[in-house]
Amino acid sequence: MVALVPQQPARVPATVRRWLWRRDWTPDLLLAPALVATAAVMGFPLVFLVYMSLHKWSLIGYAAPAFVGFGNFAALLGDDRFIQSLLRTLYFTALGLATNLPAGLGIALLLQRDFFGRGFLRALLVFPMVATPVAMGLVWVIMLDPSLGIIRYLLGCVGISHPPLWLSDTNWVVPTLVLVDAWMWTPMVALICSAGLAALPGEPFEAATVDGASAWQRFRYLTLPLLMPMLLVAAMLRLMDLLKVIDIVYVMTGGGPGHASETINLYNYLVALSYDKIGYGAAVALVLFALVLAATLGLIRLRRAT
Amino acid sequence: MTRAARLRHAGRAVAAWLVILALMLPFLWMVLGSFKTARDFLSYPPVWLFRPTLDNYAQVFADNAFPRYVLNSTIVAAGATAVGLLLGIPAAYAMARWRRTAIGIVLLAARMAPGIAFLIPLFVACLELHLVGSYTSLIASHLIFTLPLAVWMMIGFIEAVPVELEQAAMIDGCSVVGALLRIVVPLTRQGIAATAILAFIASWNNFLFALVLSNDQTKTLPVAVLGYIGYNSIQWGALMAAASVITLPVLALALCVQRYIVRGLVSGAVTG
Repeated sequence: MVALVPQQPARVPATVRRWLWRRDWTPDLLLAPALVATAAVMGFPLVFLVYMSLHKWSLIGYAAPAFVGFGNFAALLGDDRFIQSLLRTLYFTALGLATNLPAGLGIALLLQRDFFGRGFLRALLVFPMVATPVAMGLVWVIMLDPSLGIIRYLLGCVGISHPPLWLSDTNWVVPTLVLVDAWMWTPMVALICSAGLAALPGEPFEAATVDGASAWQRFRYLTLPLLMPMLLVAAMLRLMDLLKVIDIVYVMTGGGPGHASETINLYNYLVALSYDKIGYGAAVALVLFALVLAATLGLIRLRRAT
Repeated sequence: MTRAARLRHAGRAVAAWLVILALMLPFLWMVLGSFKTARDFLSYPPVWLFRPTLDNYAQVFADNAFPRYVLNSTIVAAGATAVGLLLGIPAAYAMARWRRTAIGIVLLAARMAPGIAFLIPLFVACLELHLVGSYTSLIASHLIFTLPLAVWMMIGFIEAVPVELEQAAMIDGCSVVGALLRIVVPLTRQGIAATAILAFIASWNNFLFALVLSNDQTKTLPVAVLGYIGYNSIQWGALMAAASVITLPVLALALCVQRYIVRGLVSGAVTG
């Protein structure tokens, strides 16, 4: 009789039952809808992405996806266009950080003390970061037109009569795009720094003034270190978005001239959705994700250290 | 203040005015351009004063498709905002009051992941499900950013509500959902409005997802505006008019929620 399958299902141990009963499920029920949605639109795609990256996959034609292991990742190492776009993105990001942070801090310092119209200027400062990037990118294309553009005219007014060709020059195209990106996002850095400046304690500055510290010394030894946490927050946000830059590049140059402004995200888009190399594109996307993740975690570490 | 200090202060004020007004040049140029005739557009040096024309706007709206794109953008943005808030508010409530922060990690990952990492699999899945070109696919894909935004923003607003109010209500027999609906939601009305506006703007501005997941009928404005750049000609005036129509409502909305914008952009990122 021992071999018979027990008629009753195995009993859940009393302690577990009590835990299930006593546990307050309210928050879990409140979270459930969001969790289901998150799993559907974020969790599932990321798992599927990993699966795709291990396959040779295309949508046109009837060939079934073929498992290739890490073949796509191995192929990346020999893909010159990928490596170029990766290096270009790092260059873009470095230029972006190097311009956004000092300029943003500068604007924040200009707005530190109250003056006539400060609130109004702060309100204006919000505009570049909320305006539709695609639309503003196109407005910039018109402004940067090498023959008819307002930028050429304004530079001519200050004596620069032969400006570069901006978006048409392979050496200038990335700095020009960085400039447009900086126009959109430096105000955000400025507003973050501005919030930091408003929260600075007053006493150290009074003490320093009494002790005869110069304005530069107060900035260098008080403002800057006290503001560092906010600057790092701004740097982190900018870092994430600079590494992922695509919208303005897509509409302003399409990656051209040649591939001179092709960032990794744009290359990723082209490979996966224009050239129909889905599996390979998935591998690129994972590398980009890993890059953003590593850079951000690195910066968080730095923030903890300071 | 000493004379030198007063001078420095005035100098800073003037510099601030100059720098920030200079940053507004693209908006000025866009709006001016939208009223220019083709001839004014092609004159160099550029003209600041000219006889304005409404032809560009007439051209944009004469194209039957354009109002449709405005409608598409509105439907998608409103849908993504509404669903994001409906799912996000209860989740934020649970996270604020019961400290359930596990989901936060997932939402933070969403802020870091490139859109393309979600887009490629979503596109393939939508092809299988015959959802490419549907509002459903667009709204679902925009949840990737509206939901985290709603959760992060609302956690902050809900934490500012004194918990004693809910406790008192519950002692009087109110359920948790009742407390959420009758106390937390009314008290965070302003926060909800600000969150809704920010989510709406984010969705309205989104380009990449719409580029891939929409079709000719469901195209949203950022995708449609590319149509003014042909292979050999750019319709300058119409482009500027279309850009103005897309951008100006966003700027107006942004003014209403000015003081929350940076928080919206930051809050998702500082919880490291």
